[in-house]
Amino acid sequence: MTKTSNMAQLFDKLNDLKKVFVYGERLIPVIQSLVDFMRDTVPLLENINRSIADSTSKIPKAANHINDVTNATELATTEILDLVDNMNADVDRINKMLEELEKSEEQKEAMFKILNSTLNEEQKKSLNELRKVTTNKPALVKLNELISKIKSDANNITLSLQVQDITSQQLAAVNHLIQSVQGRLSSLVLDLDEADINEHKNEEEQVQSSTFDPNARYHKLTSHQEEADEIFKKNFEKASQEEIDKLFK
Amino acid sequence: MDLKFLIVDDSVTMRRIVANTLKNIGYENYAEATDGKDALIKLATDKSLNFVITDWNMPVLSGLELIKAIRSDESMINLPILMVTTRGVKEDIIEALKAKVSNYIVKPFTPAILKEKIDQIMSTNPGVN
Repeated sequence: MTKTSNMAQLFDKLNDLKKVFVYGERLIPVIQSLVDFMRDTVPLLENINRSIADSTSKIPKAANHINDVTNATELATTEILDLVDNMNADVDRINKMLEELEKSEEQKEAMFKILNSTLNEEQKKSLNELRKVTTNKPALVKLNELISKIKSDANNITLSLQVQDITSQQLAAVNHLIQSVQGRLSSLVLDLDEADINEHKNEEEQVQSSTFDPNARYHKLTSHQEEADEIFKKNFEKASQEEIDKLFK
Repeated sequence: MDLKFLIVDDSVTMRRIVANTLKNIGYENYAEATDGKDALIKLATDKSLNFVITDWNMPVLSGLELIKAIRSDESMINLPILMVTTRGVKEDIIEALKAKVSNYIVKPFTPAILKEKIDQIMSTNPGVN
């Protein structure tokens, strides 16, 4: 009885083993296809790795280009400011000359008045005609208006150049973003030689986030200034009230 | 009161624009600093400087840190400080106010705004250092 039971157990276990082999046989093609898949994937992953490494190595170049753009616009802006300064200096010289002309015009007018008092009616008429022909007053008024307009335009050019500072902050923000992306990509490229990446990194060229405003915008809307004014106004009112309250304590 | 301004900005363009605008509204006297640290050195060495116009975003020492440093110095506690910055967000303005900036201009600015703010500061703080 015991022998029969033992044999039954043995057959059961053999059956189980057989099932394992059958299952194994079914599993082998799956494992094989998995291996094949891995074999196909490895070059693909290497390709991706190379692409990321390639892109990562190009990022410092892009960042440098952005810095070059900033430097070029700053240089150009400085040149424009120089020209505007020269224009303003010329305008000031013209203004002084106009002032001299106005003075001589007034002297001429005074002389005409003196002459007028010494002449008879016929001569006065002729003198008046001469005065009308030789006066520069209307031209001087127009010239003064024109000079004021040129000066105002020159000032507006200077003020519009604030765009350079604002765009340079926007470019610095983009540069910062690019460098962040480079950092992330570098950490993805696990098997890439670390030195390869680091050699492209120039610590001096890293943009400090404190040197720019990522939200810098060039617009002529006064809403932000109005908001600032409102906050300051409220603060001063509050301070005044606090001061009054202190007096009553 | 003769004002001598210290224009603090890391951008050479902005320093020139502020200086030119000051000239246009009748102020010829000014010095320049490239960041907050440079500004503190200039303020320590040139005692005739009695009005600071500063940007916020600068390397080494920011405009906000500069204001805090000035306000923590007993000798410069009443020094007028005008911030001229691109930062127009409410939280930033409040932060500058908490640091005890005298007034605030959001770029781009006009000569009229600069004059208005200088006048406002001087009317509330005539006894500058």
